[in-house]
Amino acid sequence: MAQMWITMGPQHPMTHGLWTLRVKVDGETVVDTEAELGYIHRGVEKICESRNFTQVTPYCDRLCYVSAMTWANSYIYAAEDLLEAEVPERAEYIRLISAELQRLASHLMWLGAFGPDIGNLTLMTWCMRDREMFLDLLQELGGSRMHYNYPRIGGVKRDIPIGFADRMIAKVKLFEHRIDEYEMMLDESTIWLVRLQGVGYANAEEMVEAGVSGPNVRAAGVNYDVRWAHPYSVYDEVDWEPAVEKPTSVKGADCYDRYRVRMEEMRQSCRMVLDAIEKIPGGKNTNYANGDEMIFQKAPTRAPEGATGFSNYECTRGASQFYIQGGGEGRGKNPYRLSIRSPMFITIPFVAKTMIGYKVADIPAIMGSFDPCIGETDR
Amino acid sequence: MGTTVTLSQNEAAAEECLAAINSRFSGSGVVASVERHSNAKKYAFVRITTPAQHWQALAKWMRFDLGANYCSMITGTHFPEGPPERGWEVAYHFLRQPITNQIPNTQTVYVAEKLDGLLIPMEFEVLIPLENNDSPTVPTVQHIWGGADWNEKETWDLVGIKFEGHKNMHRVLNPHDSPEGFHPLQKQHKIRYHEHNEMYDDAQGFGRKTTDEGRVK
Repeated sequence: MAQMWITMGPQHPMTHGLWTLRVKVDGETVVDTEAELGYIHRGVEKICESRNFTQVTPYCDRLCYVSAMTWANSYIYAAEDLLEAEVPERAEYIRLISAELQRLASHLMWLGAFGPDIGNLTLMTWCMRDREMFLDLLQELGGSRMHYNYPRIGGVKRDIPIGFADRMIAKVKLFEHRIDEYEMMLDESTIWLVRLQGVGYANAEEMVEAGVSGPNVRAAGVNYDVRWAHPYSVYDEVDWEPAVEKPTSVKGADCYDRYRVRMEEMRQSCRMVLDAIEKIPGGKNTNYANGDEMIFQKAPTRAPEGATGFSNYECTRGASQFYIQGGGEGRGKNPYRLSIRSPMFITIPFVAKTMIGYKVADIPAIMGSFDPCIGETDR
Repeated sequence: MGTTVTLSQNEAAAEECLAAINSRFSGSGVVASVERHSNAKKYAFVRITTPAQHWQALAKWMRFDLGANYCSMITGTHFPEGPPERGWEVAYHFLRQPITNQIPNTQTVYVAEKLDGLLIPMEFEVLIPLENNDSPTVPTVQHIWGGADWNEKETWDLVGIKFEGHKNMHRVLNPHDSPEGFHPLQKQHKIRYHEHNEMYDDAQGFGRKTTDEGRVK
């Protein structure tokens, strides 16, 4: 049969954003693919060169519109490396809680978008319902629903409000039951299993070789996680263990494993925040004023030429990294060069290649199971 | 209780890597040191500065003997006013991740505090300063780390560093019809004020004049 190229995207629902997947098909079988990115390239790295270190944070929020808090935190850790800032422990706990709540919200957005890909529209409405709980909690911290501009170099913008702890505990405990509900709906659904099991295999070593990270690699059976390998916040003090799957094939993890590992990761995030809120120094029902030394410690604003900062952060989709060079405009008030490593920028070309050999109808399942986000990919 | 790699494990692993690099590459111009981050937990990492001609040999050795199996990011920087020997710099970041394939229905659950030797996760930073000229070139490592492939494409696209031997180099973030030699992160390109009409007549901005230079960034 004649082979031909077909173009999926930039408007195809499979893309979860704006990018193009060019697929070479032989009948129904995918024989070659090409990913084309860059549709929403905004030049964040260039813009940041003309902003000072505090002004960069909102841009990092907007890198990924479903996981703003983790990206802002990732930048903040790099800036703290560059400026040699000290962070109070209470602020580190608040950052951990905010990042894990964001991880829950982000995974729910992923599950909500993944369900319709597979043919389960109910999942979208359920996930949006539950995500709202966590957006409300994050709004209490940052003041807006999606782009919080919450962490600061040397601490956080403001303390957790009075009553936040109780509301959070109630919502997280409710959500732990909701995860069981999701599993009841999905793990016994024939359509869900048939479309995910045995599709989109990727083994651990080829993923590491290609630069894939995070839950996608943990699905292949190794519990490597930046949060214990290059620890940054207070992950050594709270109760958790990395989510990890047992892949059923020598070919590695399939779409079902990647779905399972994210469900488990949501459980671990719940466990983490419930533990952290009890252990937080200064007490969970105290509210320190803005700028109090319990939550914020003043940091230098200038970075000398030659200084560099680097952070390696477990974002919701894998390891996000920032590399900053000091000594920019305003005698070092701006970064001279700020470089962003997006996990999805590396993963999408890899996923495009893992589709080879499967059917065209499997493409949404494979792509969706890797959780693409184009905001961070194109920067 | 979560278990993480401890500071003493991390320092011992960094020193071990440093000793290995020094014994293998001493006298060749490859300079290595153990540095410490000043954020979070103040963990150590290995910083290596190498001349471009030794880069591929060093890369292969790092990949296969030092266990740096993960190429996480590549950053090019332009220093137009820099000294003649450092007009550009390419910074690579690598990680050592103890990840292997699994036998079906099994998993590897590492307990961080019990890891030793080459299993301890480690971070490597490789700096390659390049001469101050119009065609900064480094040898490619695309064939050594698959993850370097798109990172190198991006670095060429945005910064204009040429990766000698890179197969299938093309624009990834900029439009495919960008003018040849247009690499926006080079320092001669300034962010400039947009006229209202400009947004419609010349959306990509390639035809812009320099009259607005320095107005609003």
